Amino acid sequence: MTKKRIESFIAPIIMFLLIFTGWEIIVRALKIPKWLLPMPSQIFKSMIVNFPAFWPHILVTIETVLLGFIIAVPIGILLASLITSFKVVNAALSPYVTFLVMVPLISLVPLLMLFMGYGMNVRVVTVIIQSFAVVNMNACTGFNNVPIMRQELMQSLGASRLQSYRRVILPTAASDIFTGVRLAGIFATTGCISAEYVGGNMGLGSQIIKYSQFLKTTESFACIFYVTIVGLMMYWLISFAQKKIISWKI
Amino acid sequence: MEELGKKTLQEPRIKFDNVSKVFETRSQEIVAVKDYSMEVLTGEFVSIIGPSGCGKSTLIRMLDGIIKPTYGAIYLDGIQVNEEGKMPKETLRKMGFIFQQPNLLPWYTVRENVALPLRIFGLSGQAWEKRVDELLELVGLTKSGQLFPYEISGGMLQRAGVIRAMVHDPEILLMDEPFGALDELTREQLNMELLDIWKETRKTIIFITHNVEEAVLLSSRIYIMGTQPGRLVSTVNIDLPRPRSLKMITQPEFISYKQKLTKLIGDLDLSKIK
Repeated sequence: MTKKRIESFIAPIIMFLLIFTGWEIIVRALKIPKWLLPMPSQIFKSMIVNFPAFWPHILVTIETVLLGFIIAVPIGILLASLITSFKVVNAALSPYVTFLVMVPLISLVPLLMLFMGYGMNVRVVTVIIQSFAVVNMNACTGFNNVPIMRQELMQSLGASRLQSYRRVILPTAASDIFTGVRLAGIFATTGCISAEYVGGNMGLGSQIIKYSQFLKTTESFACIFYVTIVGLMMYWLISFAQKKIISWKI
Repeated sequence: MEELGKKTLQEPRIKFDNVSKVFETRSQEIVAVKDYSMEVLTGEFVSIIGPSGCGKSTLIRMLDGIIKPTYGAIYLDGIQVNEEGKMPKETLRKMGFIFQQPNLLPWYTVRENVALPLRIFGLSGQAWEKRVDELLELVGLTKSGQLFPYEISGGMLQRAGVIRAMVHDPEILLMDEPFGALDELTREQLNMELLDIWKETRKTIIFITHNVEEAVLLSSRIYIMGTQPGRLVSTVNIDLPRPRSLKMITQPEFISYKQKLTKLIGDLDLSKIK
């Protein structure tokens, strides 16, 4: 048990070191210019040295991701409960939810900006669009897979819809919902970066574009690494919440 | 039963009057139950036996408001219960349903599972909580109350399933092959515990099974169902003395009942009924 834990903790660290030393050695050996591909050491240095300049943008990105995510998750779950409860809602909405998952978001963002300008709102809306559908689809799966015998138990007790949701349907669907929520955490981050890419001058996405236009590849990479950190933080946060909420074994 | 003489005077507790259930699938209609009639008196222990697919589980689901019959009427204490819409909680409270599997919810402890009907029916207070503890003690689960379902054995789980159906003090227990998934020894033991509970509480019990021996051992009367469509084939009264015990299984009267039933079921696969 503990041995496995150590392995699962140490293995990714060793992989991390291998990748970055390999990268460092190759760039040094081949004398690749800094504007084309900087060395990891230079990128890490930039992450620290330029931190004061990056920080406001990191904050904006985190804010957008969190705000959009927090709005998207309940919308996705609520809509799933409507879709799985009423056939009409299912028929009316399902194709459009699927559309939202399939359409390349980057093609929608310029349109949204045309309607809403370049501010914070449009980025939050982008995040919501990008992340709610995946929560919705997984929550639907969860709500549809409640074992018949559990439904019958609640029927035999004359449980109200609310009682059934609280005591049987939501807990049964919880692990499927969390699969969706975890994906939504990742999609929220990528959605936010695409919105920042397209327009505006705030957030890590806008900085990646700015630095690469000036061939400041090192700074550009530093921003990409910060994006990764934001995404990982979302992932860990959600996994932590999942462990706290789903405390039982099936 | 010693109360046989009173039977004609008593109004039936449960009455099925020409009940049919038709399930519609996309391509065809399946008649699960056809023209089923049955009367059960207060305090009786009756079994319904038949091959799988004969609609015996559908019958008690129709009584407990889980499925609506397509035709016919079901009466509980003289009142028809299969009207449109949801069955009222006051009616449902008179019944407890025991499933084929324990059907406990993994996110609740054993005690919370047992107490679940109280929460749904809105029964609160010291007396009810005490009842939960008494029932746990009755089936030897006092120490397991705070454990989660995955931490206790199959027999223990099904015991919890049984007392969950009894916690809101229903007068009628509906049991859908409750011990079918358990091993032989545990099943026999639980059958005996069930008889003890029945003797003390005098609940009205409808017991669904496909096991002839189990049916003869437990019941006062057995309804035999045939399949395609599910229908009542024959009724057999079991006039064996009470209290019943496992020792009776080898006695001639018991064996002759068993043979009679097996013969009546006739075309049923013999390997299935032991």
